[in-house]
Amino acid sequence: MRKTLFRVCTIVLLLVLAAVMLVIGRGHTIYFDNKNLEVDGQKYEAVRRINVNVNGEQVAKLSKKERGMATCMGQSFQFEIEVIREKNGPSEFLTFDLALPYNMDGVVVNLPAMMAGLPQDKWMSEFIPAPVVEEEEEELPTDEFDLGGDL
Amino acid sequence: MSKRPSSGRKALSFLGANSVPIMFILIVGICIPLSGFSPAFLLNEIITRMGRNIFLILSLLIPIMAGMGLNFGMTLGAMAGEIALIFVSDWQIWGIPGIILAMILSIPISVVLGIMCGKILNASRGREMITSYIISFFTNGVYQLLVLYMMGSIIPIIHSSIKLPRGYGIRQTVGLLNMRQSLDNVLALKIGGVKIPIMTFIVIAVMCLVIIWFRRTKLGQDMRAVGQDMEVARDAGINVERTRIISIVISTVLAGFGMIIYLQNMGDMATYSAHSQIGMFCIAALLVGGASVDRASIGNVFLGVVLFHLMFILAPTAGAKITGDTMIGEYFRVFISYGVITVALIMYETKKRKEKAGMGQLLEAAQREEESAHA
Repeated sequence: MRKTLFRVCTIVLLLVLAAVMLVIGRGHTIYFDNKNLEVDGQKYEAVRRINVNVNGEQVAKLSKKERGMATCMGQSFQFEIEVIREKNGPSEFLTFDLALPYNMDGVVVNLPAMMAGLPQDKWMSEFIPAPVVEEEEEELPTDEFDLGGDL
Repeated sequence: MSKRPSSGRKALSFLGANSVPIMFILIVGICIPLSGFSPAFLLNEIITRMGRNIFLILSLLIPIMAGMGLNFGMTLGAMAGEIALIFVSDWQIWGIPGIILAMILSIPISVVLGIMCGKILNASRGREMITSYIISFFTNGVYQLLVLYMMGSIIPIIHSSIKLPRGYGIRQTVGLLNMRQSLDNVLALKIGGVKIPIMTFIVIAVMCLVIIWFRRTKLGQDMRAVGQDMEVARDAGINVERTRIISIVISTVLAGFGMIIYLQNMGDMATYSAHSQIGMFCIAALLVGGASVDRASIGNVFLGVVLFHLMFILAPTAGAKITGDTMIGEYFRVFISYGVITVALIMYETKKRKEKAGMGQLLEAAQREEESAHA
């Protein structure tokens, strides 16, 4: 009885640990767009310059029509942007906390629309990489137990 | 009164018992100045390779303790680790959580494979090493079927970056960039250009302590008893078959963990070949460290990794300096690796035969004494 209980507890513990790892280890790539966006007939225009900082480190310097990226693990992502609207103009610092959808590997964030305070679904979309046409080639696995190569 | 062995005889028996590591120390001693590598470079390389390989080699100790010899079936655990890494890579779980999740996922696969291997080895008692070697070939076939044909078609694989262009099957190489050296970089120290992966060494140290503790447990004692004499152990009430299966299961699970630690250090995975070389390399390293088929310690693991991998680093360059051809060094290290396994097997068989002959002589003497007493 004690043995069975111990086994069940171990399995439950491992399952819980696995579930926690699935959540906290989920990796996302976040793409920051400084591009024009039209939402419900309203146009949100790109600004002159946006610098994106994550954990105090600059990850992107975006001029108009540019895209930057950062990676993150987990379901929330905090970043700071420095917005410069005019040449030699003052900097405006804004901090955002994003809740990242679990099912998205790549998340595109349109910064001008986000700064305008629109709901998340208006400025966040899934990044879908362009399909790459690859030549199909048969990759044959080796069945040799050789000692070549390095360790 | 029995005579005490002289110091000369003691030295000879020490040399005999440690001939393989002594030979390797000599080879390495000759190759180091010839290679021209700086001590910092060699130290860096050795520390990296220690962190990468020791856990895998530690997985071999428990079957040796249970008298099952060198577990060539550790390849099964390595395959379980690789399957787990494919899933984790597809699910995009990065860093340390990815490593932990891969380890958890590898456990059930390793346990199933370990039970299968243990049962087969019980059926082929006395021929465990060759059987485990062949099992690893057989399982490699099943692994290829699973990874090359079932993943992506029956087993869902989402990402095209790890799938073959035809839509099913896994690519030759799976990139593990998002978990590359995640474990090694935790608390890593850099001293004089030498990177010391502290967390990896902590994990290894914990594993060593677990092995030391395990030897003292009831199960550990049972394994040692089974390793010494199965019949005596059975008479003492130990379930020999079960104990042997458990030893193989533990070894397979640890090999799975070891493979994950190994691959996170490498940063990519050769899907169809990474596991195939690993068993041979680990066994060769353990034997170079002075272990034998029926006796191995944690010390042998550490010494073996240092000597075997030093030879790996030095041989091509030293070979190139001596002969002008790098390939000579490559051939040399391959020849040495296989050679050391062969020598260990011959030495084990010779020792066993000698012990048997000695037992026979003792029995004969005892019988003669008994007959003369009756007369």
